[in-house]
Amino acid sequence: MAKQDEPQHAPDTGHEWDGIRELTNPPPRWWMIAFHASWIWCIVYFILYPAIPLVHDSTKGILGWTMITEFKADVAENEALKAPFLKKVAAMDGQQLLADDGMKSFAESSAKALFGDNCAGCHGAGGQGAPGLFPALVDDDWLYGGDIDTIIESITDGRQGDMPAHAGMLTDKEIDGLADFVVAAAEGKATRAQFARFDDAGCSGCHGENAQGGAINELGSGGANLTDSIWRFGNSREDILRTIRYGVNQEDVPNTRVAIMPAFGDKLSPEAIKMLAVKVHELGGGK
Amino acid sequence: MSENVSSETPAYNFTIVKWFAICAVVYLAVGALVGDIIAWELAFPSLNLNEYMTFGRLRPLHTNAVIFAFGGSTLMATAYYIVQRTCAVPLWSDKMAWFTFWGWNAVIVGAVVSFPLGWTSGKEYAELEWPFDIAIALVWLAYMGNFVMTLANRKTSHIYVANWFFLGMMVMITYLHVVNSLAIPVTMTKSYSIFSGVHDAMIQWWWGHNAVGFFLTAGFLGIMYYFIPKQANLPIFSYRLSVLHFWALMFGYVWLGAHHLQYTALPDWAGSLGAAVSIAMIIPSWGGAINGLMTLSGAWNKLRDDYVLRFLVVSLAFYAMSTFEGPVMSLKTVNALSHYTDWTIGHVHSGALGWVAMVSIGAIYHLVTRLWKTEIYSVGLVNNHFWIHTIGTVIYVCAMWVSGIMQGLMWRATDDYGNLAYTFAETVSAMHPYYVLRSVGGLLVLLGALIMLYNVVMTIRTAGQPKTAAAQA
Repeated sequence: MAKQDEPQHAPDTGHEWDGIRELTNPPPRWWMIAFHASWIWCIVYFILYPAIPLVHDSTKGILGWTMITEFKADVAENEALKAPFLKKVAAMDGQQLLADDGMKSFAESSAKALFGDNCAGCHGAGGQGAPGLFPALVDDDWLYGGDIDTIIESITDGRQGDMPAHAGMLTDKEIDGLADFVVAAAEGKATRAQFARFDDAGCSGCHGENAQGGAINELGSGGANLTDSIWRFGNSREDILRTIRYGVNQEDVPNTRVAIMPAFGDKLSPEAIKMLAVKVHELGGGK
Repeated sequence: MSENVSSETPAYNFTIVKWFAICAVVYLAVGALVGDIIAWELAFPSLNLNEYMTFGRLRPLHTNAVIFAFGGSTLMATAYYIVQRTCAVPLWSDKMAWFTFWGWNAVIVGAVVSFPLGWTSGKEYAELEWPFDIAIALVWLAYMGNFVMTLANRKTSHIYVANWFFLGMMVMITYLHVVNSLAIPVTMTKSYSIFSGVHDAMIQWWWGHNAVGFFLTAGFLGIMYYFIPKQANLPIFSYRLSVLHFWALMFGYVWLGAHHLQYTALPDWAGSLGAAVSIAMIIPSWGGAINGLMTLSGAWNKLRDDYVLRFLVVSLAFYAMSTFEGPVMSLKTVNALSHYTDWTIGHVHSGALGWVAMVSIGAIYHLVTRLWKTEIYSVGLVNNHFWIHTIGTVIYVCAMWVSGIMQGLMWRATDDYGNLAYTFAETVSAMHPYYVLRSVGGLLVLLGALIMLYNVVMTIRTAGQPKTAAAQA
């Protein structure tokens, strides 16, 4: 047998294939030891952990490990950290959470991932919204109200805008006139005559007599303030025309605007919703 | 025994080897191109231009192109070449060999059409729908039948180790492919697996891991066992080592699939079994790497100017590294961090780009000179290819390691209150720079593949022209 440092000098097996020979060197000693250690490792592992299937069950392993117990232990450890705080959240209302610095800080920390995983998809990672598609949460312009309790309500029950399609109700000329009014109102240049037309068409019922949304919003209709041009459906004349013609969330109206905020009451716990509301409130525009 | 073999060369069928080798070179470039396109799509999602170009549809095209088109063509070329030369007889049936050539390429064309159209069985690495699965089975059986009959007709007394690995691959892949593809057809382009729930997942990963273990490992070890001693002109280090690691891999590998399903609905025992045997596969895998590397002991100077040998040797280093990394990732504690992250992608590509591609590239450069009886058109370009491919692979793998481990740590990070520290979207945006880096690594691999394509084409085109005599084997 050749010395380990000169493996090329070992005799070959006596066979040759296309000029290739094989030498009779033994595998390296460390490799043989590790090779045997490998199957011994398997036996040890099979004794420690559940590993061998039986007819109806499997061996349990002497460590008593199962993935579900490991999972539950990890979750319990985490829950124990949060439990005292969550108990307080459950006992406090939104106003109280905002007033308590420590609890507010806990709520905002909890809501970070909640917001990112549930809200940011539409409202943006920082609550900036998406122009023409989804409302911004960072400003102080609210369709349904920006106080903490209303925000909790919006998240829990969701919101659905409702504006009739006027294409069949009004003539093209009347609709054009209303669009002119909206454009002018946003610039603060609407005339008395235009306001009268707005009122005659019944728009003030939801958008308020002075077109500033107003008290009606507290009923949950989501009538927008038409005098500030902070609008989710865009401020071009064409955008305005489309909204007046086809309305919002009108069934069987093909071009209708869609404005649906899903309800999270079934998905998130009341505590999680409260904490999310605190975060949304504190994004900048809470009232 | 060598004395049985007459000194004149039998009428080997090298035409089939030539065509499969050309296919392999072309498919390497195509597979790398599609791979790099989807890498850029991940970094910049707006590049998902239309439904045919989305990541979801092109990704199976990439995996099938590199594994089955490039890998498969390489395996067919090398198996037909090696079995003839080491048995000293021509292929048993030329007709069957050509059937595998046209059949395999027809399946590849099928993949190119069907994946962008969205036809898929939804099984990873087995996405092709049932008519293609039947075609694959027929072609594969013809490949194996021809190989076995050539072995049976051999003029040598024993079967060379490279052929054991090829045969092991052929037997295992036949039943893995058939069982995993059992499905009830609904239309010509849609079928449903006969397995359901966790059984379907287990069968899927039993196939998935063994596509790696047998198709991408056993077969390519067969390539290594022929081309390293041939290229270095040295005998294999240890016959006993080859016997031990061959049988250990054959018996061990089939148990590993369960390690892809840790912490799922899969029963505890199956996951433990998969992890324990995975660890036990490190040493048998290293057996192959050691046998290749020790074959070169005392002759390391050959690496200085033999670029083909460099590809082969570095492939073994990547093989040893990824067969260590994979088992470690299969352990539950590590898997809890690594699973579903880019670490898996990094691991796969250290095996795919480092091991499978490099051993294949080395073998194909060797083959091309022998088949066309010429010298390589440009040794300098082979050297460039080596460095570009190696650097591209290292960039790719390192980017995915960092990205994957970061991703896993961000997912599990909590603040002092026990709340999740990061949103999912934050982990995605943190990965962006590594996605760009990965795409650059992939671009280098693609560049290397194009250099190889050019070099091989020029070698073939200039083969007839007078120059220094070809190196005869």
